[in-house]
Amino acid sequence: MINHHPSDEMLLAHAAGETSFAMALALSAHCELCHQCAERVSLLQQKLARHHLSAPSGVNALDDATRVETRTEAQQSDWLNMDSLFDAITATEAEEPVLTKGDLGPAVTAVKGEQFILPRTFRQLIHSDLASSWKGLGNVSRLRFDTQDGKARASLLHIAAGGEIPEHTHKGVEITLLLDGHFSDEFGSYGPGDFMLMDGSKQHTPITQDGCLCFTVVDAPLHFTRGLSKLLNPIGELIY
Amino acid sequence: MVKQVQEIDDNSLKQWLLAVANQRDKQAFRALFDYFGPKIRAFGLSRLSQQGLAMDLVQETLTTVWTKAHLFDSDKGNVATWVYTIMRNQCFDMLRRVQHNREDTFGDDIWPLFDSDPASDEFADHKLDNLLAAYLGKLPKLQREVVQGIYLQELSQQELAEKLGVPLGTIKSRLRLGLEKLKSLLEKHHD
Repeated sequence: MINHHPSDEMLLAHAAGETSFAMALALSAHCELCHQCAERVSLLQQKLARHHLSAPSGVNALDDATRVETRTEAQQSDWLNMDSLFDAITATEAEEPVLTKGDLGPAVTAVKGEQFILPRTFRQLIHSDLASSWKGLGNVSRLRFDTQDGKARASLLHIAAGGEIPEHTHKGVEITLLLDGHFSDEFGSYGPGDFMLMDGSKQHTPITQDGCLCFTVVDAPLHFTRGLSKLLNPIGELIY
Repeated sequence: MVKQVQEIDDNSLKQWLLAVANQRDKQAFRALFDYFGPKIRAFGLSRLSQQGLAMDLVQETLTTVWTKAHLFDSDKGNVATWVYTIMRNQCFDMLRRVQHNREDTFGDDIWPLFDSDPASDEFADHKLDNLLAAYLGKLPKLQREVVQGIYLQELSQQELAEKLGVPLGTIKSRLRLGLEKLKSLLEKHHD
């Protein structure tokens, strides 16, 4: 049972393709695990399609009808002399199937001797030059993706059974999508598919009994707040 | 030719797309082209801010419509939504190309174009795996070790280049040749 979901705004941004790469991965993976959010996104896509690609007389879900009509007339009147583009496209043969890594079965990753099947959204990424290898310290291992979203850091994070991350706050927003196993913190306990958003105002100490695998996105390095844990601050660089 | 866009509804779009899928009907495609082209260009202009890039988006999106029309499942959605998802995915990859000089394409991984039933998908994957294992043996050794290294041992191209002591470009070309060969073997099997 998935109890924690992305907000409607996030799902809309996702359907519109307007989030960062890292966020799109998190939302896509959540939707693969969560039928309910997948349905939402599919509905939002229909609305966006009507908005951007419908005839002026159609229902314009998100726009003011007059504006669309004017724009469409302008579009039509200069949509001339497109014959060469039309010829170029229709000269294309039906595409040869491209064999992607996705065709070769699910994306699998192994950490600490355990194999995990990842959501389909990671199929290419996990094999690409944007993925680093697993690096670990104690119970905590991380595989970072270079998503080139400015400061944002996207990672797979594995915490072995009984592991804990020292209490910390977040400078920016942190997204955690739990892919496998369970963990709990001061605010609750979480299972596979749960999508959590933490902002800078909260402190938490995630603990896992059975071990867990998460996909996390943070937009700034973590800062540990407890005196002793400050000694461990370099772990913030490592784990997220 | 200016169309009476008011008269175009979901059903005409569907008939045109089916004619493209089944008969490679150029006239039907011209109707889709004239209907969607200007709208895709307007979307592209707002996202990509350059006329040239917007026209690239038109070309890429409509080429996919032309070449993959047969993959459209009319039971699962309407034509406009299908074209929208193609356009959005393409635009996402184009933005990454423009901003980060990346040639990779993740749009279709993030938003799968063709919903597949997870159960049957898994089964298909399993079957494909077995087939691939059989066909891998038919590749020349140099291509085989690259394909195996990347897909089965999950090495990066760089790691593999170092391991085999050959330039990265060589890995890339062996991989391409190997995959092309595999593809042709698989196609023969499907025929």
